[in-house]
Amino acid sequence: MTDSLLPLFVVVPLAMAALGVVLPARAMIPLMVGAPLLTAAGGLGLLVAHAEAGNEVIATQVGAFVPGIAIPLVSDTLAALMLTVTGLTSAACVAFSAISGEARLRFFPTLVLMLTAGVNGALLTGDLFNLFVFIEVMLLPSYALIAMTGTWRRLGIGRLFVVVNLLTSTILLIGVGLVYGVAGSVNIGVLADADADDPRFVLAVSVVLLALAIKAGVVPMHGWLPRAYPATSGSVMALFSALHTKVALYAIFRIHQVVLDGAEPYLTVLLTLVVLTMVVGSYGSLGEKMIRRLLSWQMVAGVGYILLGLAIGTQLGLAAGLFYLSHHILVMGALLLASAAIEHTYRSNQFTRLSGLMRREPLLATIVALAMLSLVGFPPSSGFFGKVGILRAAADLDGVELVVVMTAVVVASLGTLLAGLRLWRGVFWGPPLEDLPSGDREPHVSLDTRAPLRTVLPSAVLLVVSLGVFLAPGPVWDVTVRAADGLLDSTAYAAEVTAP
Amino acid sequence: MTFLPLTVAVLVAGGAYLLCQAGMVRIVFGITLLSHAANLVLLASGVSAWRTEPLNTPGATGVADPLPMAFVLTAIVITLAVTVLMLALSLIGGDDNTYLVPETGQEHR
Repeated sequence: MTDSLLPLFVVVPLAMAALGVVLPARAMIPLMVGAPLLTAAGGLGLLVAHAEAGNEVIATQVGAFVPGIAIPLVSDTLAALMLTVTGLTSAACVAFSAISGEARLRFFPTLVLMLTAGVNGALLTGDLFNLFVFIEVMLLPSYALIAMTGTWRRLGIGRLFVVVNLLTSTILLIGVGLVYGVAGSVNIGVLADADADDPRFVLAVSVVLLALAIKAGVVPMHGWLPRAYPATSGSVMALFSALHTKVALYAIFRIHQVVLDGAEPYLTVLLTLVVLTMVVGSYGSLGEKMIRRLLSWQMVAGVGYILLGLAIGTQLGLAAGLFYLSHHILVMGALLLASAAIEHTYRSNQFTRLSGLMRREPLLATIVALAMLSLVGFPPSSGFFGKVGILRAAADLDGVELVVVMTAVVVASLGTLLAGLRLWRGVFWGPPLEDLPSGDREPHVSLDTRAPLRTVLPSAVLLVVSLGVFLAPGPVWDVTVRAADGLLDSTAYAAEVTAP
Repeated sequence: MTFLPLTVAVLVAGGAYLLCQAGMVRIVFGITLLSHAANLVLLASGVSAWRTEPLNTPGATGVADPLPMAFVLTAIVITLAVTVLMLALSLIGGDDNTYLVPETGQEHR
């Protein structure tokens, strides 16, 4: 019974988006916040269902067409986990945009709802071509969103964002075409049984993985991310950070494990890319003078840690990578929404224009401090167990790989710590805002201004969830272990996707 | 059978060249060429292998594979939509030079 409800994850947000044509933006705001919340609730329900049924996979062929022609939607523990985490985080992001007034822009709620539909579809689909379609459904509203809010830079940056993503989608499409040519199907269930040792097949799938790696922002294909994201507004950047790169990472996990069966020969390539991503990302922040530009480099670094779990490839490694993925979505969301609250109140996110916020905004300062410590891997929040899991999994490597990976994780964590100190010194330390020369202060900001509590709430909620994960990591860890089991043994997944 | 790969190669080369230009309109043309190349790759993966006229051939044996055609149709629609958006973006801001515009920046608030 549950399986026939899976299309609702896509249909409900799309139908709500259609309402945006007739309803005014004000009436759309509850729908815009409600759809991600419903997604999270549905994802949670699926998680419980999967747990009770012993890691069972639920699949449906939309419209009851023959498998292979129908659009398959599949949910396993991994997809349900992703739906829950992305739904929760995007609800917080759009709640902030409703509070800050951005959501009153014409069609903003409609675009967000379409984005939600695309993300849910991409997480649930069991077919490479539909993955491409849903990624496009996710990107098209994003093109409009990035050009809609933020500074004037967004107009130029919008071009960069569109061109990079469309080029990547074209590569993805070529990859899908090559996979179809070699294997005669693009259904992930069928591809799971395909000969993973055939070099032509591996090459074709690698083209797909290359496109997804660009979308995820893996070094050396990361350059677009720290340039494009900070140009849009804080809440939209938080939304993109929670959804876009993370959907690409989810697809990389799924395809690498299920279609390529883990592909051992690529271990060296993957490890090299991952180590580069961690180090370059965490030290990239050091040259930046704006909060969100600094954070965008930390997003790149996070991609490295998440893929490190995939590169290690053991059950522990995959579970640690997925745990880090969930943690990273929550904590980056909290940080970006906190910076959006600062920007909303003080009209700037440049270090030169902000100073001494520690005493002025104690709550925001606490959130940013805890979240930055979480990114580095210190207690007391989810980042501690994320790093512990990654390091424990990396301890199973041998020889040179062990030394390189361990060194890279420690060195990269130091880079993140330096970035956090830089952010702290630029924004929260220093003389009070009143003592800044008036030329350095943003004009139009009164000295009595304080960030209203309602703008701080969304990031506080995300941070509280992250703190909760620190206090009780067991349930989340169990879920990621089950998700890793599902990735390692894909027979149930393949059987369900291809079953009529 | 060698014409299809050669056409794809020419389209990709032209598209890559145009993508490296400064003007947004040229980049749009480059993307268009590249997406045509992608469509031809999709067609090559299914259609040309079995291609005969779908007339007077009973059964499905001689008919081209319909799935890549459906893929191409979807891809064309998506590319068309994004092309329109990109052309609009090339108009916004007055100058379509992608090297200059991103620096107009922060002061316009």
